[in-house]
Amino acid sequence: MSDAVFTVAFYVFSAVTVLAALGVVLKKNLVHSALLLILAFVGVAGIYVLLQADFIAAVQILVYAGAVAILVAFGVMLTKRGDIRESNLANRQKWPALFVVAGVFAVIYALLGQTNWGPLAAAGPEDSVGILATLMLTDFVVPFETAAILLTVAMLGAIVIAKEVKNSK
Amino acid sequence: MNIDYSLLTIEMLTAGLALGLLVLSLVVPGDQRKGFGYLTAAGLAIIFAISFAFNGVNKEIIGGMYLIDDFGNFFKQLALVAGVLVALASIPYVEKLESYRGEYYSLLVFATLGMVVMVGAGDLISLYLGLELMTITFFVLTAFKRGDSKSAEAGIKYVLLGAMSSAILLYGLSMLYGVAKTTVISELVSTIQAGQISPALILGLMFLVGGFGFKISAVPFHMWSPDVYEGAPTPVTSYLAVGSKAAAFAAFVRIFMGGMPQIQEIWIALFAGLSALSMIIGNLIAIPQTNIKRMLAFSGVAQAGYILTGMVAGTNAGIKGLAFYLMIYVFATIGAFTVAIGFSNATGSDEIKDMAGLSQRNPLMAAVMLVCLLSMAGIPPLAGFAGKLFLFSAIVAQGKLWLALVGLIMSMVSVYYYLSVAKSMYMGEAADPSPIEIPGSLKLVLIVSMVVTIFLGIYPAPLTGLAEAAASVFALK
Amino acid sequence: MIGLGHFLVLGALLFCIGLYGALTKRNAVAVLMSIELMLNAVNINLVAFSRYLTPDYIAGQVFAVFTIIVAAAEVAVGLAIVIAIYRDRLSVELDDFDWLKW
Repeated sequence: MSDAVFTVAFYVFSAVTVLAALGVVLKKNLVHSALLLILAFVGVAGIYVLLQADFIAAVQILVYAGAVAILVAFGVMLTKRGDIRESNLANRQKWPALFVVAGVFAVIYALLGQTNWGPLAAAGPEDSVGILATLMLTDFVVPFETAAILLTVAMLGAIVIAKEVKNSK
Repeated sequence: MNIDYSLLTIEMLTAGLALGLLVLSLVVPGDQRKGFGYLTAAGLAIIFAISFAFNGVNKEIIGGMYLIDDFGNFFKQLALVAGVLVALASIPYVEKLESYRGEYYSLLVFATLGMVVMVGAGDLISLYLGLELMTITFFVLTAFKRGDSKSAEAGIKYVLLGAMSSAILLYGLSMLYGVAKTTVISELVSTIQAGQISPALILGLMFLVGGFGFKISAVPFHMWSPDVYEGAPTPVTSYLAVGSKAAAFAAFVRIFMGGMPQIQEIWIALFAGLSALSMIIGNLIAIPQTNIKRMLAFSGVAQAGYILTGMVAGTNAGIKGLAFYLMIYVFATIGAFTVAIGFSNATGSDEIKDMAGLSQRNPLMAAVMLVCLLSMAGIPPLAGFAGKLFLFSAIVAQGKLWLALVGLIMSMVSVYYYLSVAKSMYMGEAADPSPIEIPGSLKLVLIVSMVVTIFLGIYPAPLTGLAEAAASVFALK
Repeated sequence: MIGLGHFLVLGALLFCIGLYGALTKRNAVAVLMSIELMLNAVNINLVAFSRYLTPDYIAGQVFAVFTIIVAAAEVAVGLAIVIAIYRDRLSVELDDFDWLKW
């Protein structure tokens, strides 16, 4: 990929991601927010492709799009009472929060700007999926197994909490 | 690649116990699940006993990705012993549940497993996964009282704030990875040079401290703890108060003492501030509390401040004090919360004023509450006194007299509100003087907590030895 | 020429947008969505570091995979609790949850 194409692609994906993310937090309709969230995730997947992380890009679309589809469904379902156009309002802390967040961004930007990261690699790995697979099942086998248990817990927990309580007593 | 799986015995047994309980709860019919609490406690107690075989074993797995050492083992034992006590203390609560009794105990053991993985983790990824396993299990347990509004509300507050703090912590971890170019904690020592601290590292440290501050409920990241403590089922609260806090401290020590002792002066300044704020604000807000669980939550904030002084010292003596204090904190806190469990089980109230005259209604409960609270206040000859002595002498040795003074003064303040509970229990007139009966499992927990708290106060040597071995893992001054 | 710095700034922007949403939204589901944005921001950092700093040993990508797993688990449990509280109060607005003193 030539530099020019890469640059254009980066700015396109970044713009999609950032604008969609802004929409998520600024839209007043929860359904719109949820749909824009999917768009933001797709933009991030594009960024991963540019970073030569093909597998992560695929996982990003599969997992996040799946999770988000559920989020949308529940978001709509749970706010079905009242007006959907006013389902996603901000609280009273809008301006203080904006102030805080702008401060956080300024600090991050300033500190990252002064950092010398050392030598940067010219290219990423050829076969990132292969390396990833090997790493996950050898060096990172402990977190891998922990993640399996974590998913079991999440499934169990979600069922226990969300299942209807019997009104027998 | 060969991994010596026998080194992971504790982890595998704990996972096996949790999964076994899960399967059993599907097989055993609902009305015959009374024994699950005892089964869980017995299982964890056996694993606890086995863990002593690992005392003195110091080995790395997969090039430092996972560590089996005295430090990790100390905190694994802490998580296991706390798990045993909490499982026993849960029995009367679980009997009132209409369903999912087996699943409750299974989740309790999963939370223990999360702590075990977290304290043994040698790289940031394992540490993060262990942390999340523990935290997400606690999300579920907090909201476990189905149909109870307070429990659901505590659950949602904990989930949202917990997930946000995890994201902040994770941002810090990503910076640490970027600066060090590795996720293995022991390699941080060589890749982060003292002379040339990059600005990104400062950024990472700030986010890390914020995220971890939330997990240990240090001021100013403590807002969640009183609400979650009050709303969650009380046995879960007690485990959250001791287990989650201890495991987070252990992970803290691993990253900062194990990975970045060379840039001590930066993070020590951050921790000194957190510590002083937590001691002062936690103790002052605890005074006007009327609900025993909220009072213990703010006292827990203050305790986090005392324990942080061990990090501020930045020496082996400091870690020894930290480990010792966390272990005795387990018994004092679970003892106090178990009194609250027994009391609310019998009367349905968590209010301190309703505890008036408890000494006539149930002398054992009043005595245990008194001993546990006085231990937290640091009154000799109880274990808390020895713990504070180790912590404060460690920071005085490093020339931080001011922090020790703050600790001493705030300990005296804390005596005031601890004693006002005692005054109510011993001098107050009970509105309803009928005696309170508590189940045998609670009695057992109460007696164990009291005996250990008194015994370790008079004769701390056995625990001091273990804490010293744990601290010696880190090559500090 | 796009480099590591560009990706990090993108991550920082996304993180701050998510943080703003998490701090200001009244709807519990919207707060969960904002937190997902923050986690995505972290993943951009991790993958970018992995690409530019450790291209041979891509621990950052491994970390990102695990972050995605954890995020999925968090959303599952978070939504379950949201449903439980909706059933109880018929609302998912955080301002309505004042039984405990926030």
